[in-house]
Amino acid sequence: MTGTEDPTNDEMLVQTDVSEGLSASESSPKRDAGTVISSNDINVWYGDDHALTDISMEIPENSVTAMIGPSGCGKSTFLRCINRMNDLIDVARVEGDLTLRGKNVYDNDVDPVALRRRVGMVFQKPNPFPKSIYENVIYGLKIQGIEGDYDEIVEKSLKRAALWDEVKDRLHESGLDLSGGQQQRLCIARAIAPDPEVLLMDEPASALDPVATSQIEDLVEELAEDYTVVIVTHNMQQAARISDKTAVFLTGGELVEFDDTQKIFENPESQRVEDYITGKFG
Amino acid sequence: MARNTYQARLEELEKDVLYLSELVAERVRYALNALEDKDERQAEEVIEGDREINRIYLDLEQDCIDLLALQQPVAGDLRFIAASFKIITDLERIGDLATNLAQYALDAENDVYTEVDIRRIGDSALDMVDQAMDAYETEDTDLCRSVAERDDSLDEMCDNASQSIVRDLMSTGDFEGDGDVEPEEFLVDVRRLLLTVRDLERIGDHAVNVAARTLYMIDNDDSLLF
Repeated sequence: MTGTEDPTNDEMLVQTDVSEGLSASESSPKRDAGTVISSNDINVWYGDDHALTDISMEIPENSVTAMIGPSGCGKSTFLRCINRMNDLIDVARVEGDLTLRGKNVYDNDVDPVALRRRVGMVFQKPNPFPKSIYENVIYGLKIQGIEGDYDEIVEKSLKRAALWDEVKDRLHESGLDLSGGQQQRLCIARAIAPDPEVLLMDEPASALDPVATSQIEDLVEELAEDYTVVIVTHNMQQAARISDKTAVFLTGGELVEFDDTQKIFENPESQRVEDYITGKFG
Repeated sequence: MARNTYQARLEELEKDVLYLSELVAERVRYALNALEDKDERQAEEVIEGDREINRIYLDLEQDCIDLLALQQPVAGDLRFIAASFKIITDLERIGDLATNLAQYALDAENDVYTEVDIRRIGDSALDMVDQAMDAYETEDTDLCRSVAERDDSLDEMCDNASQSIVRDLMSTGDFEGDGDVEPEEFLVDVRRLLLTVRDLERIGDHAVNVAARTLYMIDNDDSLLF
């Protein structure tokens, strides 16, 4: 699979290019119990490099699923399969099924832009636009021409992102004037403004200080009440603290173990996982 | 192998727990000798040595807390530290029981019910402690289960001993011993004998606890904890 968009603008695209529905024929049921995302033998190549090998897992609704593993193991690559961000990389090729509520997101009739409205994303480095806090939150909605009570959406999104009380008196000041932790929560508010079903987070706290990290971690747990959160983290203790399920990817793009977080951190099945999480290699 | 300092601290903890267990087992052995031979020197050594056991126990407890707080262990490492944290408490209590036995040896005025084989009961309890610590050191699950099974036999020995003493007192109505001993003194000695039996039985219970925690440590199997 190839894409024509500039990969350097990928973060902007997810935040801005949203439209109605995944496809014309696809309904958008929300908040059903059970599996939201299901991958079946997903393989990804970057040119000749086989980045992910036969990844199969089912991600449950309204929960936090953490992806851990050493650098280069493919965890971020898998995250980017979920909202087809790998489309933006010319040499990337994806095979296998990855369904969002039963619909394969790689079907020809799926509009990646529409997909990304249902699957929001937050990145490692806070990336607010050089606009006001208010404009940052509603930017995606405005770009796609969605009308609504923006004041209400801004308040609701900022409250869900646990930022409202800190910025409610300066909504029209620049988002860039906020602290790093506040900027990241602004990005989360922006990601949830279109009311997605899934929130992908790629190391969302790795650039933050411990206090801001704690706030993000608390927020992730709260967000899981409304959204299905999938988070990539290098911090294993963070995965242990906030996730319900943990997927351990190891070198070679292999998903070695996927289970309840408690099971992974107390008694993993795989010796390789045990060795990785106890620091004996990796 | 990564986290070399951490791995070294885990190995050090295991070594120290094993050292504590050897010290405690030695104190029980001395206490049994003191009871059998009325050896005041060995009894006093056990009593005086309890402070050392308590100090090592507290040091090891702090080592476990430090590892938990600073190294965030998970999986097998977490189970090892959690099990060790509990096991050292059992070892410290076995040390306390050894002190009790040593004190009984010092306090005993007269031999009563010499047919009760304290040495045999004590050796059995001590052997269970040794076996449980072997299981911990070698990560042997069969040995863990064997310790738990042996506890029934120890309990039976202790029950039989206690019941035979009480039954004899009840049936003969002889609360005055052989006549050379004051009745009150005789009863104090009988009571001390019953407490000795009870404490040996408790040493066996602590050995079972060690085996149960060890089984959890090795296999995440908590079946012996219930």
